[in-house]
Amino acid sequence: MTTKRLLAGAALAALVPLGAGAADLASCKGKVPSINVIGQGMPAVTTLDPHLKEFNEKWDTEVKVTLLGENERRAKSRLDASTGAGAYQVLYIDEANIAEYVASKWVYPTADVVPAEYDLGDFRVDLSNVAKIDGVQYFAPFVGGGDVMIYRKDILEAKGLPVPKTLDELAADIKAVNDPDAKVYGWAARGQRGSGMNVWRWTPFFRAMGGEWLDADNQPSFNAEPGVKATELYMDLMKSAPPGVGTFNWSDSVEAFRGGQVVFLIESDVFGPWMEDPAKSQVVGKVGYAPPPEPLPSAGWAHGWAVSTVGAKDDCTKLVAGDFVGWATSKEMEQARLAAGVASDVARVSTLQSDAYRKAVPQEYIDALLATGPRTSLLIMSSPAWPEIGDNLGLALEELFTGSRDDVKGALDEAAFAAEDSLQNLN
Amino acid sequence: MTRSRFVLATLAPALVVLGLMAAVSTAGAVWLSLQNRRLSSPDADFVGLYNYLRLFRDKRFLNALQISGLWEIITVTGTLVVAVLLAVLVHETVRKPVWRNVVCFAFLAPVLLPRVAAAFIWRFLYSPSLGLVNWIASLFGFGPIEFLADPHIALFAVAAVDIWQWGLFFAVIVLKLLETLPQAPIEAAMLDNARTWEIHAFITLPMLQGPLISLALVKAVESLRSFDLLFVMTGGGPGTSTETLDLYAYQSGINLGGRISYASAMSILLLVVTTVAFTLIWRAGKRWAR
Repeated sequence: MTTKRLLAGAALAALVPLGAGAADLASCKGKVPSINVIGQGMPAVTTLDPHLKEFNEKWDTEVKVTLLGENERRAKSRLDASTGAGAYQVLYIDEANIAEYVASKWVYPTADVVPAEYDLGDFRVDLSNVAKIDGVQYFAPFVGGGDVMIYRKDILEAKGLPVPKTLDELAADIKAVNDPDAKVYGWAARGQRGSGMNVWRWTPFFRAMGGEWLDADNQPSFNAEPGVKATELYMDLMKSAPPGVGTFNWSDSVEAFRGGQVVFLIESDVFGPWMEDPAKSQVVGKVGYAPPPEPLPSAGWAHGWAVSTVGAKDDCTKLVAGDFVGWATSKEMEQARLAAGVASDVARVSTLQSDAYRKAVPQEYIDALLATGPRTSLLIMSSPAWPEIGDNLGLALEELFTGSRDDVKGALDEAAFAAEDSLQNLN
Repeated sequence: MTRSRFVLATLAPALVVLGLMAAVSTAGAVWLSLQNRRLSSPDADFVGLYNYLRLFRDKRFLNALQISGLWEIITVTGTLVVAVLLAVLVHETVRKPVWRNVVCFAFLAPVLLPRVAAAFIWRFLYSPSLGLVNWIASLFGFGPIEFLADPHIALFAVAAVDIWQWGLFFAVIVLKLLETLPQAPIEAAMLDNARTWEIHAFITLPMLQGPLISLALVKAVESLRSFDLLFVMTGGGPGTSTETLDLYAYQSGINLGGRISYASAMSILLLVVTTVAFTLIWRAGKRWAR
């Protein structure tokens, strides 16, 4: 064989995958009649609607997004994947269930299905870290972040109070500004049960007290002293919250603040821009933002989309579903959201650095985000057993918050006892 | 072909389909309940009656059993009481057929509302800080009342919504039944100077004993299917104060750790208990109505 023939053969061999890839792209158009997507009513999901036509035309398919509440979409995804039904090609994942989905092999690694042209390296590191298990990313995030303290500047000024820097100062300020007769309450927080509800908001308090989920023998230890102290403090602060706080979800807390009833709120940072929406907020221009008071850590989280191994088995479905995930979480889509006035759901570095983003939110909010970043991490237990452990703990906390029971230690002991079973069942 | 054969031939296909569907799903649930299947894993072992035996040591299950019983009693009794009182009231006060029809239509509206929609509407109405019910209560110096966050009243607050939907609907049925009763015994009682409440307590309602028992059974079966209302309004909370058996089965099988076998055991037990209970109640009711 001559050198020329050898080189020509090698070049041809190198071109084969490209040719095959191009053939896949071309041959899959029109071969996948629909892509079913599980969604939650986050702005990043709901604002996709007017753009779906563009994607549908590209692949000659129809994207159907099923919008569900947080707990319902978790249940729906789990049921669809675990039973082998595979009705959904794209699953909505978050920090609470990624460990379970990966351990059960229900989703593909993102890089295996999302084309490189969507620049996976542009996702915010704090978000893509949440989307990773053992260094492999499993979902493309479109929203996430950490915590921020949202407070009423006007009320603090009127009372002559500085912005609290420590948890003790915050607790004192909450009580100082609480005025139920005027329908102004010092604090609001999540009380409704659920690993992603009350447990999520309680966890920074638990961690701030030095709490650890497991002891040296890998046995549940959240019922130890830090857990009890965190719960007692949380319950004490709830006395300065609007009526019904024992069953509040995040929406109730945010709406109570936007309705002008609450002075302090520690919530996920995405809710910052929600306070600045003049159509829905009565406190526009009166809101300040700061990192959570020390030693409260910031609870890192991320929501995103992944391609289901159960729902997208054949190559074409995998290809179209992967392209949908990349397209829906792309830089262009984030810019389109900003143009539509949605500044809350940002998962890309390029968007954070864009002029459009700086125009959309107050500088004070960006400063608070940047100051909180280093304190943000995944505070929940990273385990496939977490949804069960978290939900059982959430039930115990809700019982305490609503007065169904008052023995804090006993309630946490029962949740820890149940957690032993959940961990045991993993083996 | 004889008439009875024709009836049998036309009914048979539907009955076979219904029977197969019921048999397959029930057999599947029984089979699952004898394993230790979890949603997160395709592997499972045969564990015999372990799930059933565990249920009787599960405090949350026993609580759910108690809440389900309480829910049945409150909603069935409440619905019938509201239905009878309203039907008698309309029967005695609204004489013109046109106005009766208007009232009937208004009474039918709540039950036409999807349960989930009704649940969301009432969740908002009950809100301690923004709800209409609390605003009205505050005009009389009460509140704020934490209707859905207080474990002592949450079940009653949700039951009130159920009674609002079904009590008014049943009132229309009872009203129509009252209109069909023979007038002779009522006129005889009137000649004897019986008061209105006496006529209804001792004549009309005893005459409606049979239909009222049927309505009670229909409502009892319907009340067992109140998952959507409870799920949206309280999710079983606060704590477990409104967690009925179907809600707990859902939490165990789908929402919590995906313990689908355990949830199946719960469902089978619920099926057996309700079948036995309703058979006994039905027989007792028939004997009483004779």
